[in-house]
Amino acid sequence: MRYALLVQGSPYSNQASHSALRFSHGLIARGHQLATVFFYHDGVYNAARLALPPQDEPHLVDEWRELHVRQSTELLVCIASGLRRGIVDEQEASRHGKTGHSLEAPFELTGLGQLIDAGLTHDRLVTFAP
Amino acid sequence: MILHTLNRSPATSRVYQQTLDAMASEDRLLLIEDGVQGALPSLSPLFGELSGRLYVLQEDVISRGLEERCDPSIHVVNVDGFVLLTEEADKIVSWF
Repeated sequence: MRYALLVQGSPYSNQASHSALRFSHGLIARGHQLATVFFYHDGVYNAARLALPPQDEPHLVDEWRELHVRQSTELLVCIASGLRRGIVDEQEASRHGKTGHSLEAPFELTGLGQLIDAGLTHDRLVTFAP
Repeated sequence: MILHTLNRSPATSRVYQQTLDAMASEDRLLLIEDGVQGALPSLSPLFGELSGRLYVLQEDVISRGLEERCDPSIHVVNVDGFVLLTEEADKIVSWF
């Protein structure tokens, strides 16, 4: 089956990201495909390019990247949630006259329509919230 | 059949009541994260109407040191079982 996940929790603040990653590995182990992860609300911090957790802790941003490498998982970040929180890619930063950016590929800024689309085009959509 | 997940302890949040109100007679409930406290014998009677349709996530039970303390009538599933529950459900609703 093709799965989509909706992640609404900020990394290192609550369990949502950990639960979602654990579920991701579980569904892949059962032969399913993790096609899309949509990061919404505080979940957009999962895409922070400059995240530097201590080396003896899980690097959640890198774990999402790894899923993209393994499964070509689309890592979609809500643009409205992201801009409010300073999670912007190079193009948006430049458009708003900011130097530096906090989001890069394989994460991509998208609209809420992509979340609706994920619900309609995937076999299962599972939400992990704070 | 809808799979519902609940990540709040019934000792600290009343969202479990909304969950129960929303559940149809064949729906299932999986307790995850702090929601696993609902599997303790002191709290599990709150879910009594779900007999046979109540599940608790093993990894979250173990990480909280509660593996010897759960109500034995509740199904314990690991993350593999969690995925299986989502396979068997038509859709998944998360309560938080």
